Amino acid sequence: MEQNSFDAIVVGSGMSGGWAAKELTEKGLKTLVLERGRMVRHPDYPTATKDPWDLPYGNRITQETRQRKPVQTRTGYPTPANQHWFVDDLDNPYVEAQPFDWLRGYHVGGRSLMWARQSYRLSPMDFQANAKEGVGVPWPVTYDEMAPWYDKAETFAGISGSVEGLPQLPDGKFLPPFDLNCVEVDFKKRIDEKLGRKLIIGRVANLTAPLTHNESPQRGTCQSRNMCIRGCPFGGYFSSVSATLPSAERTGNMTLMANQIVYEIIYDNDKGKATGVRVLDAETGKQTDYFAKVVFLCASALGSAYIMLNSTSSRFPNGFGNDSGELGCNIMDHNKPGGSNASVEGYLDVAYTGRRPNGFYIPRYRNVGKDKRDYLRGFGYQGRAARSGFGRFNDSALIGDDLKKAFQEPGPWNLGMTAFGEILPYHENHAKLDPGRKDKHGLPLLVVNAIVRDNERKMEADMRNDAAEMLEAAGYKNVKVNSDNYNVGNSIHEMGTARMGNDPKNSVLNKYNQVHACKNVFVTDGSFMPSSGCQNPSLTYMAFTARAADHAVSELKKGNL
Amino acid sequence: MSDEMMHRREVLRRVALMLGGAVSAPAALAVLQGCSAKESASASAFTPKFLTGPSEMDIVTEVAEIIIPRTDTSGAKDAGVPAFIDSVLAGVYPKDAQDRFQAGLKEFAAMAATSGSKFLGREPAQRAAFVRQSLEKALEGERNPKPFILMARELTLLGFFTSKVGITENMEYVAVPTAYHGCVPLSQLKKHVYWE
Repeated sequence: MEQNSFDAIVVGSGMSGGWAAKELTEKGLKTLVLERGRMVRHPDYPTATKDPWDLPYGNRITQETRQRKPVQTRTGYPTPANQHWFVDDLDNPYVEAQPFDWLRGYHVGGRSLMWARQSYRLSPMDFQANAKEGVGVPWPVTYDEMAPWYDKAETFAGISGSVEGLPQLPDGKFLPPFDLNCVEVDFKKRIDEKLGRKLIIGRVANLTAPLTHNESPQRGTCQSRNMCIRGCPFGGYFSSVSATLPSAERTGNMTLMANQIVYEIIYDNDKGKATGVRVLDAETGKQTDYFAKVVFLCASALGSAYIMLNSTSSRFPNGFGNDSGELGCNIMDHNKPGGSNASVEGYLDVAYTGRRPNGFYIPRYRNVGKDKRDYLRGFGYQGRAARSGFGRFNDSALIGDDLKKAFQEPGPWNLGMTAFGEILPYHENHAKLDPGRKDKHGLPLLVVNAIVRDNERKMEADMRNDAAEMLEAAGYKNVKVNSDNYNVGNSIHEMGTARMGNDPKNSVLNKYNQVHACKNVFVTDGSFMPSSGCQNPSLTYMAFTARAADHAVSELKKGNL
Repeated sequence: MSDEMMHRREVLRRVALMLGGAVSAPAALAVLQGCSAKESASASAFTPKFLTGPSEMDIVTEVAEIIIPRTDTSGAKDAGVPAFIDSVLAGVYPKDAQDRFQAGLKEFAAMAATSGSKFLGREPAQRAAFVRQSLEKALEGERNPKPFILMARELTLLGFFTSKVGITENMEYVAVPTAYHGCVPLSQLKKHVYWE
C-alpha cells in the first residue's frame, strides 16, 4: 500500500490531465498520472517529419484501417499520417443509442496531440446566459473570476491572436497573430462594411514567437508546416506531451504510468472521502489499487462520467457523487450542420508561402447586442481562403501538355467556412452504463444517447444562410451552401456530463470542480461545463484545471480535504 | 550518403544491367535522388496486387501516361503512378468501387476495340484521342458514381501529386517553411504553385 500511495492521482494525461499534473507537482504534491493508453514522449512522433511521398496510399485510409476503426474513420479525421492517434474502435466499443461520433486518442497526451488548437475565452455573456435565460443551471463562476486563470493558461501554452476588443470574445495574452491572406483581408473588409460582422485571424496555440516565459525550454517556435496533428518535434504547438507533462516531469514529483485503465473510484464511507482508484493494466489485465489524498478526473467528459457511473457504493448507488441525478447527463458538443463556400475572382498575381496551421474566425454576432433571434445563443465560423489545388482537374478533359501547363499555375481562389453552434444542455442527452454488455476487459459498455433538438434546429437555418449571405455580400461567385449530416460528438467538444453549479441538488460539482458530495475528488475536463458557448473549449478546460489544482492544494494545506 | 541510398544505387545498377540500360532517365534520376519505394517500384518490375493480367495493368499505365506524359518534366510512369493506382485500388477502394473500376476498364477496352482497334494496338496519337473522347463523354454523362475514366484520372492526379517527382518538379515544396506569409506576389515564388 505504501508504494501505491501518493499525494494526488490524476486520471488522464490529455489537455486537462497535463495541466493538473503540472500544477499539482509544481505545488509540491507527489502525483501519480494514470493514462489508459500507451506512452508517448516528446519529441518522438513517428510520422512528424515524413514527406508526402513517404506516406502510403497518397495518405488515404485503407479498408483494413476502416475495418478496425469504423467510427474514427467515418468522420474523415484520420489519415495514414495521424491514424495511430485514433483508437481502435473494435477494441474500445461503446453503444450509440443515437449516432454519436466519439473520437478518442488513447495514449499519453490524449487529444491534446490532435486538437485543432483554436483557443478562445468564454465571455461574460456566456457565463451569464444560463442564469439569464433559465436554461440548465447557472454558472457558479463569473468571467472576472476566471480572467486571471485564462491569462495564466494563455501565457504558459502560448496562444497567438489579435487584440480585437470584442465583448463576446474577450482578448487575452497573445503572441503575434498569424497573417490573414490577401483574400481573407478582402473578405474581412467587405463583410464588415456590408453587414457589420467581424472576421479575425484564429486564436491558436501555435508559437508565432518565442514564449514569454522560460518554463518550456523543450519548445521552439511554429515552423508553419501545418502538420501539427502528427505531433510537432519543434514543440511548435501546445500539447500536454510538449508542454505541461515536461514541466511536471521536471519537478521530480510526477509518476506517469501508461496502459493503466482507471475504472473505479475507491470510496471510504466512514471517512466520507475517496481514498484512491482501481486500475486494470491494459496489457496484462492485472488489477491494482492506488491511493491518494486527492483525485483529479481528467479522462474526458465521457471517460470521467464513465468512471463515476461505474463507481457505486452504498453512499452513491447511482454513481459517484450523483446525488443530483445529473451525472452523465447534459451532454453537449458544438453543432456543425454545414457552412458555405464560394469562388473568388481576381487576386491571381498573389499567393502565400508557408502552411498556416490556422484559419480565420468569425465570432458570434447572433443574439449579441441588439440582435434578437427566435432561438437562444449563437454560433461562430471557422474558415479559410486558399488557391485551389490539383483536385480542380479531377473533372476536366485536359490531358497531356495542356494539363501540365495548367497544373503548374495555381488555381483560382476559393473561400469556405463552417459554422459551430452552441448546443444547450438537455438532461435527456445522456450516457449510461449497460451492465449486460462488456468490453474485452469485462467492463460494462457506455451507451451514449444525444441529439440536437429544437433550439439547435432553429439555429441551423441561420448557420447555413448567414454564411451564404456573407459570401454573396462580398461579391463572390458560385456560392454553395453545405448541409452536413452532423452526429453529436463530431466537433470533438463533448462536455457537460458532471456539470458544476451552486446547488448540489441539480449539479455534480461545485465552483472549484469539486464533487459536491466528496470534496477530495475534482473533475476538470469538459464534464464540468454547465453550457457550451460556441467557442472551442480547450482553453477553458486549461484555465479551470489550473484553478481547481490551486484550490485543491490550498484546501489540502488547510486540512479541509 | 545513407546505406539506404547506396542500396538504391546498387539495385538500380543491377536493374539497368538486366534490362540492358532501359531504365528511363528521369526514373533513374528519381531513384538516385532517393525517392520513395513506390517510385523505385516503377523502375524495376512490380507485381500488381489488384489489376489482373498484363492487359489491365498496361491499359491503366498507358491511360495514366496519356493524362500526364513525360515531356521536359516527368510523367505518370516516372512518378510511379501505375503502381500507385494498383495499390490504392487494392488497399483503399471498397469492393463496389473496385468492381466498378474493373468493369469500367473492360468496357473501355471493348469500346476501343469496337470503335476502331484495340487500345494498346493503336498509335500513341490515336490512344490519346480515345482517352480524350472518353473523358469528354464521361464529363457529359452521369458522374455519380464516377465512371472508370474519371476514376483513373483522379487516381493519376493523386498518385502524381503525392510522388516526389510530381511534387518537386511542379510545385515549390518546402518541408520546413519556418513562417507563413499571407500575401506574396506570385513572381516571388520559385514555382507558382506552393505545396500545401
